[in-house]
Amino acid sequence: MSSISIRDVRKTYSKSAAPAVDRLNIEIPKSDFLCLLGPSGCGKTTTLRMIAGLEHPTEGKIVVGDRTVVSVDEGIYVPAEDRDMGLVFQNYALWPHMTVAENVEFGLKLRKVPKPERDRIINDTLEKLAIARYRDRLPSQLSGGQQQRVALARMLALKPDVILLDEPLSNLDAKLRLEMRAELKRIHAEMGATIVFVTHDQWEAMTLATTIAVMSEGELQQLGTPDDIYERPANRFVAEFVGNLPINIVELQDNSTNPLSAWVHGMLADIRLTAPAGSVGIRPEHVRLVPVETSPRPATVIDIVPTGGSWIVELSADGEKFFAITPEPPGVAPGEQVGLSVPHESLHIFDAAGSRIEAVLQQTTGGKS
Amino acid sequence: MQGLGRSLYHLRVRNQDPTTLIGIVLVVLFGYLIAAPIFLLVTDAFVVQFADQGRAGQPMGELTWYYVERVFFSRISMDVFWRPLMHTALISVSAIAIALTVGVPLGWLMSRTDLPAKKWFSTALIVPYMLPSWTFALAWLTLFKNRTTGGSASWMESLGVTPPDWLAYGFLPITLILALHYTPFFILLFGNALRQFDSSLEDAARSIGAKRGTIARKIILPLMLPSLVSASTLIFAKCLGDFGVAYILGVPVGFDVLATSLFRAISTSQTGMSALLALTIVILGSVSIFIDMYLLRQARRFVVIGSKGSMNRTTALRGWRLPAFGFAMSIFLISAFIPLMALLLTTVMKVPGVFALSNFTLDYWIGTDVGTTALKQGILLTPEFWEVTWNTLWIVGSAALGAGFLGLLVGYVVARTEAKSVATFLRQVTFLPYLVPGIAFAAAYLSMFAVPRGPLPALYGTPIILVLAILADQMPFASRAGISGMMQLGRDPEDAARSVGAGFIRRLTSVVVPIQKGALVSGVMLPFISGIKGLSLVVVLAVPGTEVLTTYALRLVDYGYSQASNAVVLMICVIAFGGTMLVQRLTKSNLSDGLGNK
Ligand SMILES: Nc1ncnc2c1ncn2[C@@H]1O[C@H](COP(=O)(O)OP(=O)(O)OP(=O)(O)O)[C@@H](O)[C@H]1O
Ligand SMILES: [Mg+2]
Repeated sequence: MSSISIRDVRKTYSKSAAPAVDRLNIEIPKSDFLCLLGPSGCGKTTTLRMIAGLEHPTEGKIVVGDRTVVSVDEGIYVPAEDRDMGLVFQNYALWPHMTVAENVEFGLKLRKVPKPERDRIINDTLEKLAIARYRDRLPSQLSGGQQQRVALARMLALKPDVILLDEPLSNLDAKLRLEMRAELKRIHAEMGATIVFVTHDQWEAMTLATTIAVMSEGELQQLGTPDDIYERPANRFVAEFVGNLPINIVELQDNSTNPLSAWVHGMLADIRLTAPAGSVGIRPEHVRLVPVETSPRPATVIDIVPTGGSWIVELSADGEKFFAITPEPPGVAPGEQVGLSVPHESLHIFDAAGSRIEAVLQQTTGGKS
Repeated sequence: MQGLGRSLYHLRVRNQDPTTLIGIVLVVLFGYLIAAPIFLLVTDAFVVQFADQGRAGQPMGELTWYYVERVFFSRISMDVFWRPLMHTALISVSAIAIALTVGVPLGWLMSRTDLPAKKWFSTALIVPYMLPSWTFALAWLTLFKNRTTGGSASWMESLGVTPPDWLAYGFLPITLILALHYTPFFILLFGNALRQFDSSLEDAARSIGAKRGTIARKIILPLMLPSLVSASTLIFAKCLGDFGVAYILGVPVGFDVLATSLFRAISTSQTGMSALLALTIVILGSVSIFIDMYLLRQARRFVVIGSKGSMNRTTALRGWRLPAFGFAMSIFLISAFIPLMALLLTTVMKVPGVFALSNFTLDYWIGTDVGTTALKQGILLTPEFWEVTWNTLWIVGSAALGAGFLGLLVGYVVARTEAKSVATFLRQVTFLPYLVPGIAFAAAYLSMFAVPRGPLPALYGTPIILVLAILADQMPFASRAGISGMMQLGRDPEDAARSVGAGFIRRLTSVVVPIQKGALVSGVMLPFISGIKGLSLVVVLAVPGTEVLTTYALRLVDYGYSQASNAVVLMICVIAFGGTMLVQRLTKSNLSDGLGNK
């Protein structure tokens, strides 16, 4: 099993265009399950294809295990066909003229695996992915989900050390997606391969990954465990991108005429900061609704949306939209006034440039406002 | 050190597979097979040629206006250029007018009405275009020729009437035959345009109270105009280069068009003049094709392609169904059935046009004592016929195979290489022969290969020059098929193969070629068919030892053996028609998709 090390990688497709990937540094330990997460066009596929060898970096170096597969400065470039990695494409890319079995067999033949051994591997792999019935069909005669599994089978049959998956679940329906997610987890546990998984679905990333790399506009925003990413977003982009319901952001002006920012300023008074704060993020689930009298921050309920087990409360605080989510029926009706309360420790504080500021809570006055 | 590493890196990246290398090889190859001959054609027109030193008053190889003067302004310019130009123009314009008058109603009948037997007509009416145009010239001779050309009597003569020259030869038959041969352009292009026209536009106009006539004039016509212009310019370009019809029907009475004038200049070895004439034809042809492309691009900006839901309403012909059927049927009879039947019947009649049982014979096919001097036995028993057939099959076959595979390679390189300039050059150079009518292309090949060039000996007189010329001539279609096939294929199947460890050769043989099988079949078959029936290119380049079916048929015409030549022509028709139908069946494509190809 191999670790993957991406060092100072940049990729520009054409001289005039902005880099698709820039200053990328990621260390992926062996047997890690890394998710590349980010909005469309942020460079996830490009990164994956550079690891696979299907694109070449403009700058930088990539080391897999103890083999440097590409290094611009050292003049090293190992072509894709010699990298021995398993790759599953965003659109499957099955060979349309080969049957399911032939698709799986192709790579084995190239590795000169003897015929009986080949047949055994094909049968096993197809069995495992429950597509043995379709072994003699052409890809065009399969449903999207079945094609997806053929693509997986084709890759798995070769037992690669490193598995690269580009949004492999994006075209499946909800149920199949759940099944395949479990399947991937099982494969990971069983084979112990290092997996890099591209997705723009944060939920998928959260549930699958051991490490998540959040990217935006070609640059790495944060590398960390799913908990890290959610609990300690490195910057405003990550805070806003991750989370089912958008995080509430309050901009802080110095002369706080805005009541909302005045309120937050009030809370920050209890906190020692390492740098001046520019904005604050509050996750909806950390917003508590309290009786108006007990809170310095009143808000008007606009709408309540039950989402099965929790309730999204849309609020308006001095004209600003604000979301709260409650695990119990909120007990208020649209049009009513409620008070807002947020525990100090759940504030995400960012500086003027949007980077996270670590806060130190002052012991003496810690508590709730 | 670091700089060295970087150079090494870029070298490795660029040469991870030999795509660009292949691209460069192709650039050299097509530079040699296409660009160089055409370039030489240009230079030949403007430098003093061997044996012209005296007349030009300049040493050989020097830049000169001598040929320009001779072709455009001298005493003979009327005969070699201006009159043929006028004839060509007159013929094209009249042919376009006739084809328009006949083709537009047919296009409408086929696409928007409940014409009976529509499906059958959709093939039957296109037959003339599937066959070589000069086939119909031979049929015309069979029916209408007089004693101006020798050989057996025509049907009309057998009936006791001597057709006058103006009916038998020259402007009238040439125009009619070209018109009928190219009418399918209007049927297909106009029909397709109508088919894509969204009926809801008509409805919208009607809903605001427009009358039928107004709708036709103000809405339908402007939207159909591009297809009409396109068909017209294509027919013009084709008429410019059409050699066979004018040769068969024009030459006996001294009626010259540009193509035959060029042929005469070539066959009398007037290199400089023929180069200039060829160049003129190329320029006229290119201008019309560029006008067509420009108009099409303009039109595309406001094309109204019917959306999925758009209705393509058929007009009920009601009482007009029968007359309409009669019209379509008579066009089929005139443009395909009668000529082909005339050809066929001639080959089984002792005296043409006499329908008595005793007059029928199979001698011209399989007889042993036909009684003519040079061709004593039926055509199927003539060894020369089989030699020529074999020649044709292997010459055209290898050219077509070559064109098909090179087309796929061009497509591969254009779609894959990072060297954009290589891709652009390949795309353009393989398109070039499209602008050059066959007879002019042949002239270019003579310029190039009549003398030794570099390591190559003079190829004129060998079958190789035919293979190369036919191959190059077919490249526009072959490379277009290859490029669009590869573009459609995309990178993914190949990338997937790389990721399981397949190297370049393996990817090509196990992934690209098998997936492109269909494109490859049509990329080989269509050039094959078009090469089999092509005349103007080979008529210049073939010599007695390297004859193919078309030139053989033409020689038999020259000898006056009309039965034999008709038999040969029928064989060509069978191959062309059968091949076309086969390709359509195999690729599920339609002839109209490939319209505009040579
Ligand atoms: N072959 C290419 N040529 C030029 N630009 C490209 C190419 N491939 C990608 N790009 C550009 O690089 C950027 C990153 O693309 P990439 O495909 O890596 O995004 P992605 O994160 O995978 O997006 P998605 O989630 O939509 O798949 C985009 O701006 C894209 O337009
Ligand atoms: Mg992508």
